[in-house]
Amino acid sequence: MSGAQLPANLSAETVREISEQREEPEWLLEARLDALDALETLDLPDVIQTPGRRWTNLEALDFESLVDPLEQVDETERTADEGVEVLTFTEALDAHPDVVESAFGSTIDPQENYLTALSAALFTTGTVVYVPEGVDAEDVTIRAEMNSRSLFSHTLVVTEESASVTILESIESGADVEGSRYFSNLVEIDAGENSYVQYGSLQNLNEDTYSYSLKRADVGTYATVNWIEGNLGSRLTRSDVESELNGDAAETKIVGAFFGHDDQHFDVNARVWHNAEHTTADLVTRGVLDDEARSVYEGVQDVGRDAWDTNSYQRENTLMLSDESEADASPKLIIQNHDTEASHSATVGQVDQEDLFYMVSRAIPPRRARNMLVEGFFVPVLEEIEVEEFRDDLEALIAARLQ
Amino acid sequence: MSSEQDHLKETDTEARFDFKKEESSAFQTEKGLTEETVRVISEDKDEPEWMLNRRLRALKQFQKMPMPTDWPGQPDLSEVDIAEIVPYIRPDVDVRAGVDDWTELPDEIKDTFDKLGIPEAEKNALSGVGAQYESEVVYQNMQERWEEKGVIFMNMDKAVQEHPDIVREHFMTKCVPPSDNKFAALHGAVWSGGSFVYVPEDVTVEMPVQAYFRMNSEGMGQFEHTLIVAEDGAEVHYIEGCSAPKYSAFNLHSGGVEVFVGEDAHVQYSTVQNWSKNTYNLNTKRAIVEAGGRMEWISGSMGSKATMLYPSTVLKGPGASDNHITIAFAGEGQNIDTGAKVYHNAPNTKSTIESKSISKDGGRTNYRGLVHIADGASGSSTSVECDALMFDNESTSDTMPYMEINESKVDVAHEATVGKIGDEDVFYLQSRGLDDDDAKQMIVSGFIEPITEELPIEYAVELNRLVELEMEGSLG
Repeated sequence: MSGAQLPANLSAETVREISEQREEPEWLLEARLDALDALETLDLPDVIQTPGRRWTNLEALDFESLVDPLEQVDETERTADEGVEVLTFTEALDAHPDVVESAFGSTIDPQENYLTALSAALFTTGTVVYVPEGVDAEDVTIRAEMNSRSLFSHTLVVTEESASVTILESIESGADVEGSRYFSNLVEIDAGENSYVQYGSLQNLNEDTYSYSLKRADVGTYATVNWIEGNLGSRLTRSDVESELNGDAAETKIVGAFFGHDDQHFDVNARVWHNAEHTTADLVTRGVLDDEARSVYEGVQDVGRDAWDTNSYQRENTLMLSDESEADASPKLIIQNHDTEASHSATVGQVDQEDLFYMVSRAIPPRRARNMLVEGFFVPVLEEIEVEEFRDDLEALIAARLQ
Repeated sequence: MSSEQDHLKETDTEARFDFKKEESSAFQTEKGLTEETVRVISEDKDEPEWMLNRRLRALKQFQKMPMPTDWPGQPDLSEVDIAEIVPYIRPDVDVRAGVDDWTELPDEIKDTFDKLGIPEAEKNALSGVGAQYESEVVYQNMQERWEEKGVIFMNMDKAVQEHPDIVREHFMTKCVPPSDNKFAALHGAVWSGGSFVYVPEDVTVEMPVQAYFRMNSEGMGQFEHTLIVAEDGAEVHYIEGCSAPKYSAFNLHSGGVEVFVGEDAHVQYSTVQNWSKNTYNLNTKRAIVEAGGRMEWISGSMGSKATMLYPSTVLKGPGASDNHITIAFAGEGQNIDTGAKVYHNAPNTKSTIESKSISKDGGRTNYRGLVHIADGASGSSTSVECDALMFDNESTSDTMPYMEINESKVDVAHEATVGKIGDEDVFYLQSRGLDDDDAKQMIVSGFIEPITEELPIEYAVELNRLVELEMEGSLG
């Protein structure tokens, strides 16, 4: 049983109303009602505990005041090349009922935890990207603006055999709402044989917002799914980015960047499961903390019994700009097949003092020198981003935060 | 060559460690754990009231704490039923607190330690030796020259009687309180035997002191307590060895180790653990290090069915430092869950952790570690390196480090790798005339060499031999 409070105005009636307004099929209404029923028995997502310390306190979230199910408003702009369909979730239910029905819940069980169930019961927005066999789709953009106290979004990406797509998603706050807010973002990717997906996500919500994001991919034979996860906004973010390498020779990259200031709290997690042969994973996360910001990172590389010939790498680096900040990290290896080459590394430290000294000696003012080093620190992450627009956005946000 | 040395040359692990002696005791408690058991133990030892009270408080703590079951990937402890354990067995030895001459021991006990090579080692390489059989220390001796300098090395039970002030201040108070974990609480209630080491200011004990722990009886629990106090500028190296024959019922070893490292003092604590593969080894070991002091933990975990052991160091004073060296080897049916914990609570503190693990034939090793750097511990640095070698896809190798960094002026690095024995390496060695087994053995020896070269030579030899024995078990 979770410690979380059920929102007062949350009932089967509410859920029916949401579903009816959108003229949803029966199976989805059932899935929503089942998730609602399950809330009572589900726990919040696991957080790391060490003797006497709990790294993130999700129990403190007061869903009663954060969630206003019937007043969800968003303004989302979706663009795409020809040949690929980028639809709202509701449009997709009409256009591709079978695709949506089989993809929904296929990688994220709605009843996985309290927050996924809450999302399944209440989501009102989301996008479906469906790329048919052999189609190359570049530069799909999804720019979402959250205009209400709470917003629940569910996105599906389905790529058929040998299809490819690059997707950029950005999330910002629009209209002002007094007090705390809650944003929930679930993304499921079903990557078919030999297909390619890059999914970039940039979260820059205002700092009264609590945000939960779970993104998971089912990566098929010869397929590649590359994630880029940028977190700058929100009061507290819990973000899980996960790839299940289920097909032989499947590959994934999970690239993360965060930059916290004031009393922001980022709980960012990257996980990969090697479930088939000849699979490869590379997890790269870079974060900067200023003021009293706090970061929590868990990286998991899980190599299954049957995952012969696995390559799996993980790096996490955190830069601390302030003495008041705190960085917690736990990179984990779980290896059950010896035919594996796996490694991970993690570092925490401050800006290199010798670099700083050199730059200052070349007449660069100290503050500017530090900022240049921070910008340089993010370069390995920026280099991974294929969508130029996204790279520019992230660079601009980092530069703005340094001012 | 003496017969003892011949015995040491034997390469059969069964013969060397797995011999059983008839169970003969002067006194033993009933199975299980009640307040009555605790009172009986305390009374049999003729303990002062304060120690009895500490035991009873620890018992209450034990009863109200849950079993640890929710650690990710932890060993299964469901078989560990305290009601099935005999917590206290006093062997039939005339002199309480141990004799100081091996020949005064009953034959079967003397023979046990002869076979383990302890008296031989004492002659050659050690400043002092304690030997524990079941729940009591049966032999304790230290060279006179250390006694003259005020060094104390005695059985823990005797220390309670003879050095009540030091023991009362340090025993399970600020270092390992019974509330630390369920098995520390159990230990606090039924502890028996172990060593007390006191090294006065600026005294350096040049050769190591060693304690050897042997469980002979089936279904017993051994709960020895080790307390080491090194005053400012003192230096000592303590070596601990352990083994037991294998029985079908489980045995439990739940030791407690507390080390106090004074300013600029240096303590090294080395363990080669070779419990039988029916033993649950659930220990709590911790050191508190004052300014400029240095603590070193060297642990080889070869035996046991399941081990949960994370030697901890609290770097309390500025400039204090810590070094952990850990080797774990898990074969069939073994789950070795071990690692290190370091708390950097003062500026300019330093820690290094090196871990090597080997898993084969379905064994599981896990490195589980925590490094905590407190706010204000500026100028501190920590480096953690974990390497794992796997033999087959029945085995499991996990690495689970946790880092909590509350200070920006620090240098924190963690690295880990996991890999298999390289086919190419094996092929190369075979082409040079080695057979498959020898080639693999040589690769494993090379893999752990960075650690064995840090060990005193006797220990490096012992550890290498144990690894060879483990390898022989199922290769070929």
